[in-house]
Amino acid sequence: MFILKYIKEVYSGLKSLVVGLRRTLYYFSHHKEIITQQYPDNRDTLVFPDRFKGEVVMVHDDKNEHACTGCTACELACPNATIKIITKFDITPEGKKKKAIDKFVYHLELCTMCNLCVVACPTDAIKMAQTFEHSVYNRAELTKILNKPDSKIRDGVE
Amino acid sequence: MWSFSKISKLIDSWLSVNFSSTWTMVIEMVIAGIAVITLFALLGLVLVLMERRVAAWIQIRLGPNRVGPGGMLQSLADTLKLLVKEGMTPDGADKFLFNLAPFIAMIVAMLLMAPIAFASDFQLWDLNIGVLYVTAISSLMVISILMAGWASNNKYSLMGAMRSGAQIVSYELSAGLSIMSIVVLSGSLNLNEIIQSQADGWWLFKGHIPVVIAFIIFIIAVTAETNRAPFDLAEAESELTAGFHTEYSGMKFALFFLAEYINVFIVCAIGATLFLGGWMPFHIGHWQAFNHVMDFIPSSIWFFGKTFFLIFLIMWFRWTFPRLRIDQLLDLEWKYLLPISMFNILLITLMAILGWHF
Amino acid sequence: MSGSTIIFYLLSILTLVSGILSVTTRKIFRAAIFLLFSLIGIAGLYFWMQYEFIAAVQITVYVGGITVLIIFSIFLTQQAGELLPKQNKNRVLFALLAAFCGFALTLLQIIQHSFNKTLESPILPTMENIGNQMLGIDENGFSLPFEVVSILLLAAMIGCIVIALRSKPTTV
Repeated sequence: MFILKYIKEVYSGLKSLVVGLRRTLYYFSHHKEIITQQYPDNRDTLVFPDRFKGEVVMVHDDKNEHACTGCTACELACPNATIKIITKFDITPEGKKKKAIDKFVYHLELCTMCNLCVVACPTDAIKMAQTFEHSVYNRAELTKILNKPDSKIRDGVE
Repeated sequence: MWSFSKISKLIDSWLSVNFSSTWTMVIEMVIAGIAVITLFALLGLVLVLMERRVAAWIQIRLGPNRVGPGGMLQSLADTLKLLVKEGMTPDGADKFLFNLAPFIAMIVAMLLMAPIAFASDFQLWDLNIGVLYVTAISSLMVISILMAGWASNNKYSLMGAMRSGAQIVSYELSAGLSIMSIVVLSGSLNLNEIIQSQADGWWLFKGHIPVVIAFIIFIIAVTAETNRAPFDLAEAESELTAGFHTEYSGMKFALFFLAEYINVFIVCAIGATLFLGGWMPFHIGHWQAFNHVMDFIPSSIWFFGKTFFLIFLIMWFRWTFPRLRIDQLLDLEWKYLLPISMFNILLITLMAILGWHF
Repeated sequence: MSGSTIIFYLLSILTLVSGILSVTTRKIFRAAIFLLFSLIGIAGLYFWMQYEFIAAVQITVYVGGITVLIIFSIFLTQQAGELLPKQNKNRVLFALLAAFCGFALTLLQIIQHSFNKTLESPILPTMENIGNQMLGIDENGFSLPFEVVSILLLAAMIGCIVIALRSKPTTV
């Protein structure tokens, strides 16, 4: 019936409003939920959420080995040409030539932290770090080489 | 014990001893004017801070916490900033009306303060048609907005002004009807008599469900009338930059800003007076002992407590609900609030005639 | 001159000056605003006479209702921001003449009318009295005009709905 439908509409509308109000009242009265970080004051105790994306880094283990094969999947995935991989050819013990990275060039000033390179990487060689104090005096310092000097590819990573 | 009514009586008797009656009147008027302006300034400071705090806590933030202890002086600092800013008038504007509009907004807010009873026996003007006066004067509010919107010579301002006009004119109806329901129940338009009629319990509790419905409609309608979110189409930042006060800066902007908060205070004070008994302490029927305990709390604290509770309610709405679209806004008024409040007032009239309330 | 008289003259000056300005200004929006001030001045006079009810109704109906309507129609008109064309001399002359005739007629009435002092106390403008008069069916009641006006308003409202309900134009 028309009237019943009308009343039902009003009731459900009011109910949905109350749901919203309850949520905000919960936040209003529970101050430990506050997520504000008073940044420069609590620099030592700063807590980051897991998904915070600061910059791209390459993972190196204790033996100074990384997992990057130089496949350029990240370079292709990058929407604004942040990554440039310069490859070289290593000679393996068997005497074959093998492609490896020489320099993994990363332009932080072009990066939008979109995470597409990390997703594209087949060997999980790069990840997003949680650093964020990136400001430097010289723009050139923002162009970084991610693989550490003398590092080499981990055995068994193809 | 000191109370507002005692202080005012003391001043009155002192003045009437020392001055002639005309001068007593003039001096009292000046004192009242200064008191109202002081109250305005204080309310502006407190309400802006309160709004920012409520907003922050609802959005899981901290809010202002740098200026003064716990950020208490933030709004004072903002006021200082606005005071020293240049008040610009755009070239194509109608200069006279552009500069007049904020003052009209302020004067209307001041006029609305007159019949409000702040404490027992403490009122600027005990008017026999108090409620009607308030509804009449508050309809002047729209003029200042229309004036500002037109005189700015800016399409956003004009659009905001027209939206605001349509909104205020239509929501005045349901606000008026829900005010009327309390007038029907208490049988008077005088704010003092309405408060007296709630000596044995506030209308919100005495009047069963119909009065609760009227109260809800009143709160929704006055939120719309004061142009606050979720009904802030007149100044919708994301659509119209700032609506009718886009072109205003400095002190003229501050006056509009202040007038908005004063209006919120006034409608909440009216709501508290009508539905929550104004300065009347919380009384339950004939429980003498309980009522006596409640009487020990000063009446001004009761009044301000209730008013600030309602203000909190309106702020809570603002930071919870998203903005309505213009057609949703008009739907809400004409298809829901108005029919319901018309039916409701019939019910309440029946209740008042048959004496079904407590 | 007592304070009350001063207030009376101030209100009269406000009413008259803004009334004159509203017909002489060449900006149509300003004319509406001056009309509004004039009406507020009249409401102020009612307050001065302590007829608060009529003052409040004056503000609600004329200022809050009709002037807002006028302003809205100005907003919706094209070229509302431009200066109005100058009136030609004849029109101004005849308008002045008409205004003067009206004024003279009213003044004549007021002067010729002998205001008798009555011993009856005036009806107090309390809400009860106004309500009883308005809906009373005895000798001085205004029940019939009240109902006639409500029927007129009802007819107007139904008319509005009928106009708004006009069938939608068939889309091509």
